[in-house]
Amino acid sequence: MAEPVDDQRARRGSGPRWSWRRLSIVLHRDIGYLAVALTIAYGISGIAVNHIADWNPNYKISKRFTTIAPIALDSAPAMVDLAVARLALTEPPRSSYQPDPQTLQLFYGEQVYHVDLPSGKVMVESTVPRRVLHELNQLHLNEPKRVWTYVADL
Amino acid sequence: MCPSITTTMNLVRTAALTLALVALTASTAIAQSKDYGKALTLKDATPISSILKDPAAWDGKRVLVEGLIIEVCEERGCWIRIASDKAFESLRFKVDDGVMTFPQEAKGKTVLAEGVVKVKSLTREQAVAQAREVAKERGTLASFDPAKVKGPVTDVQLSGEGARVK
Repeated sequence: MAEPVDDQRARRGSGPRWSWRRLSIVLHRDIGYLAVALTIAYGISGIAVNHIADWNPNYKISKRFTTIAPIALDSAPAMVDLAVARLALTEPPRSSYQPDPQTLQLFYGEQVYHVDLPSGKVMVESTVPRRVLHELNQLHLNEPKRVWTYVADL
Repeated sequence: MCPSITTTMNLVRTAALTLALVALTASTAIAQSKDYGKALTLKDATPISSILKDPAAWDGKRVLVEGLIIEVCEERGCWIRIASDKAFESLRFKVDDGVMTFPQEAKGKTVLAEGVVKVKSLTREQAVAQAREVAKERGTLASFDPAKVKGPVTDVQLSGEGARVK
């Protein structure tokens, strides 16, 4: 007759604290957990990445529009200061750029302000990573490179 | 050991492993300076304005450029647009899909980028096709208007091999 599971556990617990058999069981179990976790992660990421033509699996990108008073063409630093003040932003931008004489772009981490200087129309583009999914996709697409390349091969 | 305690410990171990993996990837994302692709081999940067002034003279040459990242491919992170040292100019740094993936967070940061200058003469039809592809990657395909694309044009881009985002 088979030994009850609780008795088996009790017997294992009362044995020597270290043995090859115990190590093998622990490794088998923990590597199994890792394999299952990675299989689930790759499965979820696979579905997300397969539909890249329909949606962005890594970022939530949104655009909103606002209007400020027009800004007269001036030196770049002066226009940046004026735009920051009129947009009531509390910090200076990380950097700024003018793709053409009428447009000023202000870069703030996850947000970019596109200011049409003559009209004062502003497009605020927000790019926020999709938490967890973004990280899963990074692992799936082997973005860390180096050692992860071999883990991903397995 | 009580089975419920064992189960809890297993769950804690699994959660710790998952957190470690997420932390590993997150740590690479928040690093101050990050290298992409092959290591940079050139020391001196070429002004982008020099390349754009006479593209034919630079065609096929390996160069290192430095500038502000003003745009990143939204779909796959497979190209970035780098601001020139001269006003209103920029250069696209294109990499093969999967070789390097630039994060959207790179916008507004400075990059040192190394690659080979590629110059192509595009007919109007080719220019429209390229602009359509860029609009698709930007997520602006719905508002894409082929009539606004001029051509024929000379397309200049850097075929990317390595980059350091600072």
